[in-house]
Amino acid sequence: MKMNFYIAVFIVLVSAGISGCQKKYLPTDRDAFDLGSSFSTTVYHPVLGRTTLFTDNFKDISSSKPLNFRMLNLRAFDGSAAPELLKPFPTLVWIKKYTGLETSLAEIEAKRKTEDHPLFEIRQHSGEFIMWSSARSSILRPMPDSGYVFDVEVSNNGGRKIIEGLKLQPYRERDYEPNNADLITGNVTNDVVHPLSVSNIIGDSSGIALTAQDVEISFHQASFTGSSLTFKFLDDQNRLIDPAKFNLTDWAKLVHGFNMQKTGTYVKYDVAYPIPLVELPTAYTNSTGTLAHLDFGYERLGFGGVRQVSGLLFDFSIFAKGDWEIVIAFTKETPRFDND
Amino acid sequence: MNTNNMRYFLSFILVVCSGVLLHAQTTKRITGTVLDGSNKAPLVGVTISLRDTANAITATDGNGNFSVTVPVSTTALYFSNIGFKTKSASVRGKNMLEVYMEASNDAMQGVVVQGFQKRAKSTATGSTVSLSGEDIQNVPVSNFTELLQGRVAGVNVQNTTGMPGARTSMTFRGMTSGSISGSGNDAFLTPTSPLFVIDGVPVDINSGYEYGFDQSGPGMSPLSMIPPEDIETIDFLKSGGATALYGSRGTYGVVLVTTKRGKTKVPIIRYSGKFYINAVPKLKPVIGGQLERELRIRQIMENDSSLYSGRDKIDMAPGLSDYLNPYYNNSTDWQSIFYGPTFNMSHNIQASGGDQKFNYKVNAGYSKDQGIIKNTGFTRYALSMNTDYRPSERFNLATSFSASMGEQQKGNGNGVSQTGVASAVSASSLLPRPSFFGGNATALGNFSTRNENKSSNLLGNVQLRYEFIKGFTLSDNFSYTYSAGRETNFTPSLINNNTATAYAYDDKKQELNNRVMLALNKEYGRHLINAYVFNEVTSRTFYPKAIMHYGSPNDQYEGPLGYDPATGLWGIVDNYTPGYRIMGNGGNVTYNYDGRYILDLTYRLDGTSSNGPNQPFIKNPSISGRWNFYREKFLESASWLSDGAIRADWAKNITPQGSIFDANGKYLFTGRFNNNPTIGLDWEFIPNPNLLPITAQKYNAGLELGFLQNRFNLTLETYYEQKDNELYDYAIADHNAFSKKKTNALSSVNYGYEFSVGIMPFPRTSKVTWNINFNGSINRNVVTHLPDDARLILKYDTDNKQDIVYRLGRSNLSYILYHYRGVFQSDDEVPVDPATGKPYRAQTDKGTYYFGAGDPYWTDLDGNYIIDGNDRVIAGSAATKVFGGIQSMLRYEGWALNINMSYLYGRDILNNALAQRLQSYSNPFALQKDASLIPISDIDFWSPEKADARYPNPYNYLYNGIYSPFRFDQTLFMEDGSYFKINTISLTYMLPKSLISRFNMTTFQLFGTINNVHTFSNYSGPDPELVTDLGKDRSDGYPNRRSYTLGLNIQF
Repeated sequence: MKMNFYIAVFIVLVSAGISGCQKKYLPTDRDAFDLGSSFSTTVYHPVLGRTTLFTDNFKDISSSKPLNFRMLNLRAFDGSAAPELLKPFPTLVWIKKYTGLETSLAEIEAKRKTEDHPLFEIRQHSGEFIMWSSARSSILRPMPDSGYVFDVEVSNNGGRKIIEGLKLQPYRERDYEPNNADLITGNVTNDVVHPLSVSNIIGDSSGIALTAQDVEISFHQASFTGSSLTFKFLDDQNRLIDPAKFNLTDWAKLVHGFNMQKTGTYVKYDVAYPIPLVELPTAYTNSTGTLAHLDFGYERLGFGGVRQVSGLLFDFSIFAKGDWEIVIAFTKETPRFDND
Repeated sequence: MNTNNMRYFLSFILVVCSGVLLHAQTTKRITGTVLDGSNKAPLVGVTISLRDTANAITATDGNGNFSVTVPVSTTALYFSNIGFKTKSASVRGKNMLEVYMEASNDAMQGVVVQGFQKRAKSTATGSTVSLSGEDIQNVPVSNFTELLQGRVAGVNVQNTTGMPGARTSMTFRGMTSGSISGSGNDAFLTPTSPLFVIDGVPVDINSGYEYGFDQSGPGMSPLSMIPPEDIETIDFLKSGGATALYGSRGTYGVVLVTTKRGKTKVPIIRYSGKFYINAVPKLKPVIGGQLERELRIRQIMENDSSLYSGRDKIDMAPGLSDYLNPYYNNSTDWQSIFYGPTFNMSHNIQASGGDQKFNYKVNAGYSKDQGIIKNTGFTRYALSMNTDYRPSERFNLATSFSASMGEQQKGNGNGVSQTGVASAVSASSLLPRPSFFGGNATALGNFSTRNENKSSNLLGNVQLRYEFIKGFTLSDNFSYTYSAGRETNFTPSLINNNTATAYAYDDKKQELNNRVMLALNKEYGRHLINAYVFNEVTSRTFYPKAIMHYGSPNDQYEGPLGYDPATGLWGIVDNYTPGYRIMGNGGNVTYNYDGRYILDLTYRLDGTSSNGPNQPFIKNPSISGRWNFYREKFLESASWLSDGAIRADWAKNITPQGSIFDANGKYLFTGRFNNNPTIGLDWEFIPNPNLLPITAQKYNAGLELGFLQNRFNLTLETYYEQKDNELYDYAIADHNAFSKKKTNALSSVNYGYEFSVGIMPFPRTSKVTWNINFNGSINRNVVTHLPDDARLILKYDTDNKQDIVYRLGRSNLSYILYHYRGVFQSDDEVPVDPATGKPYRAQTDKGTYYFGAGDPYWTDLDGNYIIDGNDRVIAGSAATKVFGGIQSMLRYEGWALNINMSYLYGRDILNNALAQRLQSYSNPFALQKDASLIPISDIDFWSPEKADARYPNPYNYLYNGIYSPFRFDQTLFMEDGSYFKINTISLTYMLPKSLISRFNMTTFQLFGTINNVHTFSNYSGPDPELVTDLGKDRSDGYPNRRSYTLGLNIQF
């Protein structure tokens, strides 16, 4: 009987022995890290005063996802510390989907909230950089200063890599677009811009069609605290034109604004900034959603009683909050609104 | 010659003769009968030998009688027969014997093949499993490998297609390839079937499938050419030690198939016939007629951008709006047009006879297996014979010859897929039934194409053995195979855009094998030494040609004249491999001490023509050993232990890969220069003179135990197999003249455990015999090396985007998928980028789509609010983790009930079929293809009324193309493919001898069999087995049919 016991133990030992020690020399199943991965953009030029997201900036072929990114050694170009970049500032972030169908300012504001963020951040897993709109030239060093230098650590549990010497060189604020200000110095020689297109608008005195160059548009920020947008039209004598003369304009849908005040001299809306709020195509934007879209039009009876439809298109964006005014001046010639 | 010399010569003759006479006087003659102990039926073909391990000296005839002449000193005779326990009978003082043999299911007994020699199982050092042909007799299949499913531990057989005559997927110990060709559902793994050796002739079963599913040629597996009735034994050589002598092609294992041989003095004639019905499995239900039209219209009205746009689109689609037009006013059930049950039969007749000096066998078989899809089927005509001539103990000549012809109708598809049928079946039910005026050209094509596929095989084999000095044997094994395949296909112009197409394919394949061997057999007391050296040569040629003519003058005239020469194509098939040469030299030494300790050493040098010229020969050594501990003295007292052994082996094997062009470059016709045809280099691949074959290093260890006279036995095995040097196409810098290089870069390891248990619950004396076998294997598959020492490589799939990922430490068939988290129940649930305010979205070249209610939510791994390739996770694998089978054989007097079951666990399937089913709603205007609307009311999908659902909204057809909610590469469609399958149930009744003897019959057996009985699985698709090796369930596959058989076996 004792013999049988020993034999049983022996058999168990042998079977255990042959089934062990197999995994020892196999590679461990850990993340792959591609040492050839790197940033495809190494110098970042955000425009201050607007939230800028740099996307598609990291190239990686054969790493296991997700990767982890961390910004290191954020410093000024001369090597001195740059605490201003690390300090959190309050900024507006989106929490719900903006649709363009909101019916009040309160509804829009309910979709955003204020959070504290450092002015320049990196997204943890995608390596995208965010410059928040709270960054102003009063806090950071804008161009033509050489700006800031920083390093990024990329890692997963298969390896890590530090990419050194990435540069951040912000441009000065450009509160609205289109904008003629010099990118680097911010100097403005002529702040007047022109509409996207002018169609079939005839000068009142000459009867000659106006071109986009004959119409001058300027932006004025009346205050920094309010949140409104006003449209005014000027004739060649710098007199205000009654907006009602643009009788084909869909004033209610002109911008995503509320509480429209339409007088004989201006049209004013309460709006939320920036305009457009989100780069999404809506009824108030161009087809890609990058700029707000204005469409002013009127009709009249032309020569021989033929209906003439005239129009003016203008795409724009405004980034800073305030009481803004857009003045459209027909400097060369006042349009002809009356029937022939 | 002077008289003196003459005298010496005569006296010499006298002495020699007297010696012979003296010798003759020392023998005696023994006659007798061998009967089956359980039913007292005579046993045919029982081999009788003088020793346990010696060669047979005779065998019993058709009535179980034998007669043998043995030396007087003989004390016992040994009787062995497959399926029975070896029996020894004392002959001391006896001239008549009656021997009763006991059936056994012991895996321990019997003979197995290791290397080139048959030996007693108790001396085998490698891992070999032997299966009797009896086990697979009563099921009608075109390809006998279908029946091997679940029978042998470590051999994974998956019937991935129901196409008659096509190949099954068979892998040994998880050995698969890392190279994938093709894309989408057609992506396939380089076939890694084991080497089949049929009666000593190696048969290449991977051929014809080098090109994937869309194989060129008739698409018949050479194994389909063997009638299952003619199979005597099948041996599976699993470990490196067992396949060591097949070193030049043995990486993926070796299967030896031996056909029946004549054994009886009285010639016997055996007939077996099977009559069976192939039944159609449950087909998918389809919405038809008015219901379909209304569903489409409702979908458009509810989901288009506006009411007017939707109305306009419906008005522009006559299939939806013109419902009074008889062309669109139908409810056609396309599936019933293609699928239907078929009645089939197979017949096999065999004559055999002879004795030890000369025996013969002739076998003729006919089988016709019509598939359940119209216009598909397989017909086999096979004729084979073998003879064995042994004028003396020292000389032996065995020949075998077989000729077979197969005819296959492929329908409009090929071996695996039935894309033609699938696409025709996916037509809208609104279209009329097939006619030349019908709308479904593909459907018509399935019936009106003229298609003929023929394959013919000739196998010849001569084995010569001569023992020129006692103990020294010279032998030669020569075999030659010739096979030819032909396919012709004519598509009439009426269904092919007014252009008739004639396609003709023709190939021929020749293979010559010769092995010459010098063997030494010496016994010194308890020491037994067996050694041999050999030289082996294999030469194979392959030459496929194809010609394609467009635009014959009419549909009755198939050319060759009158076609449009400008568009005709002809030549050899793309990427063909021209054949190869293999030469091997080697030797083997076996040392056996007292049957207790056995050691095997093998060394061989193999050269293949596809090796690079710098690496012509590869050294393939092996070492293996066995310890039969139950024969040790200290275990003599343990009477309960009837068998016990430990064995271990290590070996290196190779398998040629690629073609001679990869190593040496290729010249091609490169156009005309100065109006002369020119030949130039092929610039695609740079020749790689260092190319190596696939090399495998295999470790194997096993424990064999038998208890209580082997009523219970157990085999445990473990293995570790490393496969290196698999080819990888490596892109080289673009300033080189060549663009790619083939390198030896991929390595993987398979390790695992196998067990098989045999149980006989009733004692051997019982009237009821019941044998149960369980077997199972656990296999793990790990990638161990990738090109450039990378840890991760993606193999892109351009069609379905179901990329395969190779990552070190993971299975080589891992998936990389979008992780599906659920459905957005409302717009508010969609995450929004806090910085830009843009919601979670899909960006493709077709545009940007912002997700909303009813859309799928996939994990955004990198947190950029865009769902793209970077968000995929490695999840699941197509590799099988656990598989095995259960067999039960119950016998009571003349009745026998056999049940064969198999199981598989831990395999992930991508349910492309379900994905496609949901995708078919993405275009409500399509009528021709992907247009059959399958009811999805059983599927829990999102709708405004039912927001809490598992599947996204299928009806959002305007934007489906951008964000593909039912993309194939997501975890939503990854399912567990585990199953338990009842393969066959077979009931046999043997008529009592008294009833049939007046008709001169010795056996009359009736049987009924159901094949493919039922599969138990949680998988939501139709069949968890009907998936590709890459784990994709495809909706255009050929379903596995269930067959019901009635048959009889008669022996005269």
